[in-house]
Amino acid sequence: MRFEKFVQPDNLQTALEILKTDPDSVILGGTTFLRLSNKKYSIGIDLSKLNLDYIKENNDQIEIGAYTSLRTIETDSVINKYFGNLLPKSLENLIGIQFRNNATIGGAIFSRLGFTEINTALLVLDCELEFEKNGIVAFSKFISNFNIKRDILNKIIIKKNKGKSSYKMIRNSDADFAILSVAVSNFDKIKIAVGTRPSIAKLSEKASQIINSDNNKIEEAASLIADEFKFGDDLRASGKYRKMIAPILVSRALLEVLK
Amino acid sequence: MKLKLNINNKFYNTNIDGDESLLDILRKIGFKSVKKGCDTGVCGVCSVLINGKPTLSCQFLAARAQGAKITTVEGLGKKADKIVDLIVSEGADQCGYCGPSLVLTTYAMKKELKNPTVEKINHYLTGNLCRCSGYEGQLRGIKKYMGVK
Repeated sequence: MRFEKFVQPDNLQTALEILKTDPDSVILGGTTFLRLSNKKYSIGIDLSKLNLDYIKENNDQIEIGAYTSLRTIETDSVINKYFGNLLPKSLENLIGIQFRNNATIGGAIFSRLGFTEINTALLVLDCELEFEKNGIVAFSKFISNFNIKRDILNKIIIKKNKGKSSYKMIRNSDADFAILSVAVSNFDKIKIAVGTRPSIAKLSEKASQIINSDNNKIEEAASLIADEFKFGDDLRASGKYRKMIAPILVSRALLEVLK
Repeated sequence: MKLKLNINNKFYNTNIDGDESLLDILRKIGFKSVKKGCDTGVCGVCSVLINGKPTLSCQFLAARAQGAKITTVEGLGKKADKIVDLIVSEGADQCGYCGPSLVLTTYAMKKELKNPTVEKINHYLTGNLCRCSGYEGQLRGIKKYMGVK
């Protein structure tokens, strides 16, 4: 990654204006992934001085600023109190602590990268994103709607629903990217998400329908996962292997939230 | 662009390009304990403390470091000696390339982990790769430093 000019706007409106008027400008998150590309940008827009690094707990929701580091989320006492450690579990094996101290939640979400495990976890929560231009958007809609591009993510809003959740993943080694990740929650209804397939995380429809109709149909719901999602090949695992593993992880996660 | 950096409690004025990494700037200034390894955020040898938190300087934009407190292993002084002595006493240090970052991360770990265990130590140090020691000797020294048997 290269850019000709580095700017630190005083406010989000100014940042958005630069982003809108210059198509070659880019918002800088933790720049962990951006740095790996050879792309040259005109302006790097840095928002690290705009106080977007926070975790706030309100009566019915938790708000996470877009510049909050993944390590802060992983270790925060408020986050650890809710959702059965779902979010910390989806983060704790990503590279190392030094990496997670720099990578931001905004960068992880906005870049919609397939290997980002926290997207799998956020899908099963009641989660919304607040953008500077597009306003509030459901996380599940953002993940599948690639039209939201030239905008700035301000914060992540998660409802404090009561219930159980479970996170399962498989990886070749401790600090590598996951081969497959699965998240299941049981708040008002059961939600199942499968991610790092290696494409981006997605919510299950068919398997969720089965398990919501009858909580005893764990094996039936889990086996549907293999056909409901597309599993691809990459250097870490084949699609065939992922397809075999997915029902097992889903079955274990369902057992955990339903026991 | 002009930049004023607080490194080990001393201020340094320097000129940088907006897209330069903190790693490159630290080495230009003369902090050669900060090593350039993979330069892709994986190996951990470029780790420094930014406001007390271990951070990969290859991933961190130097322009963002203005106003932050940067600590390299030189800044730890005698606090580093204690960790180094324990690692060396286990015959663990070989090429030494990963040493400064390992010492810095261990120092930060001691401050952060309230009830350290072998598992927690291993997990905390996952991001520090060493290609010659096999980790066992280093970990013996680090466990002593952390007060873990």
